[in-house]
Amino acid sequence: MTTTESFARLMSDAAAMQERGQSALRALREIGEVQVGLSEKTCVYAEDKIQLHRYVPLARSARVPPLLICYAMVNRPYMLDLQPDRSLIRELLSLGVDVYLLDWGYPDGADRFIPLTEYVCGYLGRCVEFILEQNAIDALNLLGVCQGGTMSLCYAALEPRHIANLITMVAPVDFKTPENLLSKWAQHIDVERLTQSGNVSGEFLNLVYLALMPFRLTQQKYVNLLQMEGDRAQLENFLRMEKWIFDSPDQPARAFREFIEWFFQENRLIRGELTLDNRQVLLKNIRCPVLNIYAANDHLVPPSASIPLGAHVGSEDYESLQVDVGHIGMYVSGKARKTVPAAIARWLQERKP
Amino acid sequence: MNDSTTTHPEAPPYLKAWDDYVSACQTLCERLSNPAAPAAGSAVPLAFLGSWKDFAASLGMRPDAAPGESSNPEDQFASLFPALGYSREYQEIGRRMLDLTGQFQRRYAEFLQLSADIGQSAFQATQRRASKDDTLLASPAAIYDAWIDCAEEAYAQAAHGEPFARLLADLCNILSGFKIERGKLLEALARQFDWPSRAEVDSLHRQVHTLRSAAVKAKGAAKTRTAAKAGRSARADTAAKVGTAAKVRMAAKAGRAAKASAAVKAKGVAKATAAAKPTPGAKRRGKRKIRKTPERTDQ
Repeated sequence: MTTTESFARLMSDAAAMQERGQSALRALREIGEVQVGLSEKTCVYAEDKIQLHRYVPLARSARVPPLLICYAMVNRPYMLDLQPDRSLIRELLSLGVDVYLLDWGYPDGADRFIPLTEYVCGYLGRCVEFILEQNAIDALNLLGVCQGGTMSLCYAALEPRHIANLITMVAPVDFKTPENLLSKWAQHIDVERLTQSGNVSGEFLNLVYLALMPFRLTQQKYVNLLQMEGDRAQLENFLRMEKWIFDSPDQPARAFREFIEWFFQENRLIRGELTLDNRQVLLKNIRCPVLNIYAANDHLVPPSASIPLGAHVGSEDYESLQVDVGHIGMYVSGKARKTVPAAIARWLQERKP
Repeated sequence: MNDSTTTHPEAPPYLKAWDDYVSACQTLCERLSNPAAPAAGSAVPLAFLGSWKDFAASLGMRPDAAPGESSNPEDQFASLFPALGYSREYQEIGRRMLDLTGQFQRRYAEFLQLSADIGQSAFQATQRRASKDDTLLASPAAIYDAWIDCAEEAYAQAAHGEPFARLLADLCNILSGFKIERGKLLEALARQFDWPSRAEVDSLHRQVHTLRSAAVKAKGAAKTRTAAKAGRSARADTAAKVGTAAKVRMAAKAGRAAKASAAVKAKGVAKATAAAKPTPGAKRRGKRKIRKTPERTDQ
């Protein structure tokens, strides 16, 4: 093809795309604000910025201990309940699981001196105790997602008697593997300096996430948006996702510094050198059944960061589940939706007391 | 290299993406259709680069200012000498901020160069793909997608390297330093206006945090004490109940034993009267009877 032909093709292509784009823009204007996290829930416990929600059941109880979901602090947990047809929580509810969700909220300046210990042993610990008391049980099921998975591992190692079964999802355990780009970048960051002037802004975190795959995340996806024409459902899906991606809470300075230094830079958890609440966090203390779910194409938490968990926990009942999706696909993709909630419910059912 | 876009910096990202798309397609179509043309990697816009500069600007830095450029010409002269006089502390802060801006600009220029190399590698990879697949050139959209794939691959290769990690960390550390200096300046300003300053608020937060921790500990301790007390009183209650029941049982047992003994004696007297010497079998039967009787009573 000659340059002139290419150029002519480009022009006609561009004109067609412009037309589609205009239709997409018109539809975008009409959509307005998108709704997320629609499954019915009640706040049953609150403390400072955190809230513990209990979801209204959608099916007959599976008669397994309640499942507490501990999500990451760096993103909002409504990703697990993005919309009715893309909701891990809804799927679990429809399988009869009693679901609680720990929402860390939006930390502000008042939280900048709160240590990581307080988040793990304090807030998370008190939520666990609340659920145990409310249900008059000795142990519950804990599902830790992403950074929340790492925090859940710490808690389960410190308070094993409270955890009946532990599930980790896209949770990093070994922070220093060759595929872990975030970790490579974190090694030279002066976190003390970064957090000296206060909390770490969500905008900064977004900048870092976008830098992981800049061409796809800042260019191609918007070009694709313009190709969607006026497909309202598709556009709404896009907007919900876009809202979640950039709805990053500021990170409480001290807890963030400790997390980056202890986990990313020093890899203390897997080395058995982590101390929280003046107690050593030893993964071998986790003796309850463990299900480790990870994504094969995860660019944030590569499989190599999650897989080593099996070799370090003390449990004799350890299972792993690889899903052929990316990090975000784990929560919303059709493939994950078909396999993950059912796998969790079945696994819990098989281990019910 | 050009890292700016023709759209307004505040324009929605899809408009920027549109601009980038058209520009990228145009450049790629032109260059790939004409293999004799010089490599065009640097001509393809890498839109994401602007984000770091935008972020720096959001912190109050002037990343586009010429090196050494200052809003006040006197500052340039003053920068040759140590800070002196009444406002020397502020001058020092201002100088450190200028110095950090300069550092950012230098490292950012290196970042741009590194990105230009990535663009170059990506273009070459796209060129190789196009030479193997004729259909690519027939569709600008296909070329664009191929370019994105190649750009991500080239980027990932560089991003995993040590120089990139150092560069990114330096940019981040410089911006952190700038933010600290900016905070000092705002702190001074707040003091002058008698506004609550960050340091003041931080101090209050620390106190609140300490008080909260103490309160939580005290609450925990009180809970433990209450539980222990409840445990003790429950044990005492149980012990008392157990004791009372035991006493009742013992009294009943004693009463039954006394009755039984009296019965045995009475029976013995009767038997003795009947026969001078009782048989051992009759004695055993009598004992069994005595043992069973209280059990029946208990039930």
